[in-house]
Amino acid sequence: MDETEFNGRLKEAQINNALGVFILVFGIIILFAMIYTETFVEHMTDMTAGLLLISIGGGMVWKARKTMKKLREKKKNNMEI
Amino acid sequence: MLAGIDYFIVIAYIIGMLLLGLYFKKYVNSSEDYFLGGKSLPFWAIGMSIVVSDIGALDFVGVSGQAYRYGVSVGNFDWVGSVPAMLLAAFIFIPYFWRGGMYTIPEYLGRRYNQKVRTIASVTWILFFALDLGVLFWASAVLLNVLMGWPIWISIISTAGVVGLYTYFGGITAVIMTDVVQFIIMFIGGFALVFLSLYEVGGWDNMVEKISTMGPEYRNHFDIIQPQDTKSPFPWTGILFGLTFVMANAYMIGNQSIVQRCLTAKNEWHAKASMIFGSALKMFIPILVLFPGLMAVVVHPGLLDGDQALPMMIKSILPPGLVGLMFAAFFAGLMSSVDSLLNSTATLFTKDIYEPFIKKGADDKHYLKVGQITTLVLLVVGVATSPISSDFPGIYVAIQTFMSYFQGPIFAILLLGIFWRRTTEWGGLSALVIGIGFAVYLNVFKEQFFTIEDPFLYISWWSFLLSFIINITVSLLTKKHTEEQLEGLVFSSKILVKNKNL
Repeated sequence: MDETEFNGRLKEAQINNALGVFILVFGIIILFAMIYTETFVEHMTDMTAGLLLISIGGGMVWKARKTMKKLREKKKNNMEI
Repeated sequence: MLAGIDYFIVIAYIIGMLLLGLYFKKYVNSSEDYFLGGKSLPFWAIGMSIVVSDIGALDFVGVSGQAYRYGVSVGNFDWVGSVPAMLLAAFIFIPYFWRGGMYTIPEYLGRRYNQKVRTIASVTWILFFALDLGVLFWASAVLLNVLMGWPIWISIISTAGVVGLYTYFGGITAVIMTDVVQFIIMFIGGFALVFLSLYEVGGWDNMVEKISTMGPEYRNHFDIIQPQDTKSPFPWTGILFGLTFVMANAYMIGNQSIVQRCLTAKNEWHAKASMIFGSALKMFIPILVLFPGLMAVVVHPGLLDGDQALPMMIKSILPPGLVGLMFAAFFAGLMSSVDSLLNSTATLFTKDIYEPFIKKGADDKHYLKVGQITTLVLLVVGVATSPISSDFPGIYVAIQTFMSYFQGPIFAILLLGIFWRRTTEWGGLSALVIGIGFAVYLNVFKEQFFTIEDPFLYISWWSFLLSFIINITVSLLTKKHTEEQLEGLVFSSKILVKNKNL
């Protein structure tokens, strides 16, 4: 992997991490909003939407951090060689 | 006005957007980073961004309102009016723009025809975008005023401050990535609204039955194809010729703010895939925006203003939390339209006007600064002109009509430019100028030519056709380009099978 490709992949992972955090926080807020709902259907809708946002955001953060870790290890190994 | 948790969500969303947008500042070191995101963005983000910038908040409300008034035929705009055009753009046009390392559509026109065509096309788009900016600022301010109770001027300045800051610093990367968040939120909120609306009206069959028995004006509400003598603005002839053949292609292929996104892709495969992915996502848009409008016919019958349908449905159907989220998505839709206009206009001005006419051959940092300063100037112009919108309630429609003046002629010269080697610089120039003039003429004297109230689809079609014929006629009478001049600018079947990584 050359320097440009490394930087490109790192940039993508960093961007995904930032987006993921934003979506994750919003999911938590929507989940919290469940306490303001009155009917069962409203309750379930907020819960589904909140959990969906948390899964998307959480998934993005998890994948991005995994990629960043992998890239850093690869760079470290290359430097040692 | 919103209260409690929903108010908090809108505020958190606006602040979050600002912080997220500013985060992308670290990726802007050159003019390519600012205008084309360093050519490093993935297809899925660009695809989502294309869909979001195409369906801004005003369209969201407008399409639901039209579904309330005219039924499902408005869905044509997102199905036949988008998907075929996006596929054509992906496989034929985007590869040429991407391989040519272009920043703007007028840049292609300049290379294929001449500098005059480039300048006319660019100035027309800049004028259109600059006018639209003021209207969007006003719309955002009205939304904030109604939802949050903020005074209009505070609302305008806060919108301009938030959008201006992240667009100024983050460039197109910030624009695209904030669109991704908006897309996810819009889809989740939108599907929740559709699900709860269906529950409220007792299911799809029940809704169809209820609407069908509401009176003769609802007889064609579920006909996707409307007869030629329909009272709605969507007769099948207009949809086929004006929308599918001309306006859709002109919008997806010739609109700077759409195509510029594809040019930010990390390679040609991603550039094409972004349009294809966008077209797949686009097919869901009618479900999100059209269905709530239809269901509002049952839940809130007799609304005088159809554009009230969607806000009324959100307020009456969605639970606390999602109301705030959907209104935040509305506001973000407006922010997305504003940031797209700011960045695209800055690109057009810097690349098509400043670089060739004002300062040629300066270093890259200079053009980056020009792009950023243009963004600031546009922001000030947008804020200063926004109150004009309140004096002219029909200004949004007028601006959209203005767009229909030049979309037909621009698409005609783009189409012939790519597919016909014989077309010449004079052919392109005369087609563009006469085509725009003809569209203006048709619009001024529309009562004499058309029977429907708003014939913008027909105007696009006839101005396209005239430009097409003029381009062919003049080209045959003037000197053709040499093979060297046409290299990489005209269609070759190889473009369909080979990807090139620059």
